[in-house]
Amino acid sequence: MIPRRCDAGDLELGGGLEVLLDAVLEPIAPGDEVEVSVASRAVALELPGWARRRGHQVIGEGSEGTGPARRWLVRLRRGAISRVLAPPLPPAGPPPPLRRGQLRVANWREGLGPAPTVADPTAGFAPLGAVPEAGAPAYDWALNRRDQVWADDLGSLIAGAAAAQWDATRDIPWQEAGPLPDLLERAVCQVVTFLAQNEYAAYYVPARFMPIVNPQFPEVLMWLASHAYDEARHIEVFTKRALVNGGRAYAFAAAERSLHSLLQEPDFSASALLLNVLGEGSFIDLLEFVAAHAPDAATATAARLAVRDELRHVRFGVSHVARLLARDPTARDRLVAAVEARAARLVELTGLAPEVTEALTIMAAGSAQPAQIAEGAAAVRDLMRRMAERRVARLREAGFDEGTARRISDLHTPNLM
Amino acid sequence: MPDHARSLLVGAVAYHPRVVTVWEGFKEYFREGGLDLDYLLFSNYERLVEALLDGIVDLAWNTNTAYVSAEARLGGRALILGMRDVDAGYASLLVTRTDDPLSDLRELAGATLALGSRDSGHAAILPLHFLAAEGVPLERVQLLRFDTDLGKHGDTGDSERKVVRAVAEGRARAGAIGDATWAQFRAERLPETDHLQVAWRSPTYSHCCFTARPDLDPALARRWLELLLRMDYNDPRLRPVMDLEGVKRWLPGDKAGYAALQEAMRQQGYLRG
Repeated sequence: MIPRRCDAGDLELGGGLEVLLDAVLEPIAPGDEVEVSVASRAVALELPGWARRRGHQVIGEGSEGTGPARRWLVRLRRGAISRVLAPPLPPAGPPPPLRRGQLRVANWREGLGPAPTVADPTAGFAPLGAVPEAGAPAYDWALNRRDQVWADDLGSLIAGAAAAQWDATRDIPWQEAGPLPDLLERAVCQVVTFLAQNEYAAYYVPARFMPIVNPQFPEVLMWLASHAYDEARHIEVFTKRALVNGGRAYAFAAAERSLHSLLQEPDFSASALLLNVLGEGSFIDLLEFVAAHAPDAATATAARLAVRDELRHVRFGVSHVARLLARDPTARDRLVAAVEARAARLVELTGLAPEVTEALTIMAAGSAQPAQIAEGAAAVRDLMRRMAERRVARLREAGFDEGTARRISDLHTPNLM
Repeated sequence: MPDHARSLLVGAVAYHPRVVTVWEGFKEYFREGGLDLDYLLFSNYERLVEALLDGIVDLAWNTNTAYVSAEARLGGRALILGMRDVDAGYASLLVTRTDDPLSDLRELAGATLALGSRDSGHAAILPLHFLAAEGVPLERVQLLRFDTDLGKHGDTGDSERKVVRAVAEGRARAGAIGDATWAQFRAERLPETDHLQVAWRSPTYSHCCFTARPDLDPALARRWLELLLRMDYNDPRLRPVMDLEGVKRWLPGDKAGYAALQEAMRQQGYLRG
């Protein structure tokens, strides 16, 4: 056998020689030989110990040349051990395409194939394209089927979330938050406190799923993280608005009961329907109402920015549910049953907390003048009507027939979220 | 109740807490293979050898020094029942500073030589033995011994670390170290090895081995060896414990590699008779 040659230059053990030798020996077959040329006898003498520890063997030593040009030769035979307990890496595949110079999540699986229909429930954190080594501890993920968690526009939703981040400190004109007449300030305080209270639930729902989604669906992880972070920022901005003029307001038990029931739902898709489609859908209308009627620029800006985020969350919910309904004929009944079960738990809720309705009315009225209060009341009625209509429209978009969409909408919590 | 007549008790020295992890892993492997194996840990090889001779343990996971002691006391009838790949073809090295090389081993006369623990075959006993054979006048060499972890026969590597440091700091002209230990220090980028180089490599010898008394049940011995040699480093469940034990492949082992150490230990007064 003519062994491969490897010129190690002036390298010595601990100074990079072992890196070179590993690179040379790893890809060759067990039993194959490499003749390594090193700069000194001292280096040649350290190789047998290294080779034994690595499972290789030194099978010959010699030298060639004379004087300063003399080189020492060590012949190594590769052992049978693969350093990594995994098949050899496959050749590099076609790279994902850049779009206007950008690498988007929507494109990163091109060349790798689609996300698996069913991911290995014991899989670890091998990133896309990585070959997992055997011997890793086994996980026990709960959400392993793509249909359970997926939406086909996840890539653009994640990109949208990253591009639309805002800052609840810098991007809100806090100096324009008042002063307001006491009645109005109290109404605004009560409205934003209600918003913040609900946003807590909107945070906890995706957060509960984050640690149980199989990591082979990184798009879903990124999506849930962005969703939860959006809600954390909504909690921040509405809490700040309540505090900015020193105000206080109630966190109503009725809202709490509704939100508590939302967190009882264990299923990802049912949660997407209840939170994203129904709850956050209703909140888009509510936040648009606040943005239109807020008496101060800080409140209006906060509501407007929050709407941008909620639109994405609703988009995910609609997209996920539509995909599921189209692929799984049993999903419709399961989802309706989840809505019915929640409605049954909330049977004692008969409407939005009256104090919230009143605060919305006063906010829209802008004063306690009877004529303006009448206008405010009319605006809140319009809001309720618009919410119901658009809820049905979103449910239709998500793939429910007209009758089912109306029934689900009617069963939706009067707390809105 | 385990059938003690059919079970095998292995003795080993706990030179590090990881020895427990190693033997728990091995125990599970052997039991899955149908051999009822258990282990008993000792703090030093002298007591392990006594336990082997007294019949308290069936097998001793011995250093070469411990094996040679047991072999002498068993009148040359000890059994070797396996060794690691790294134990065959072991060698000792002398290292020096690169700016103060040895062009001839006899330059050690009048100089200081750092040695590891005096009960270490590879870092003390065999280096002295082979250097004498090379004609180094040992009576004129100043010995700087690092007798740490006595009883553990150099297993911890601690004395060799001190040897390397002594050479690096110029307190010794040369130092003795096992070739596998040196490779490990280099791979770990131990800073003290930076301006050192290997000046000499000894003839090869065998290091650790499983030692049994000659009266060990042959069927039990055979089953042990079969399972030991079948241990596969490419098995993801075994790799972590084999890595801790520093073995890629087990070999049957033989007595040929211990001749030099037997002679050295006799000359240096480690063996009675």
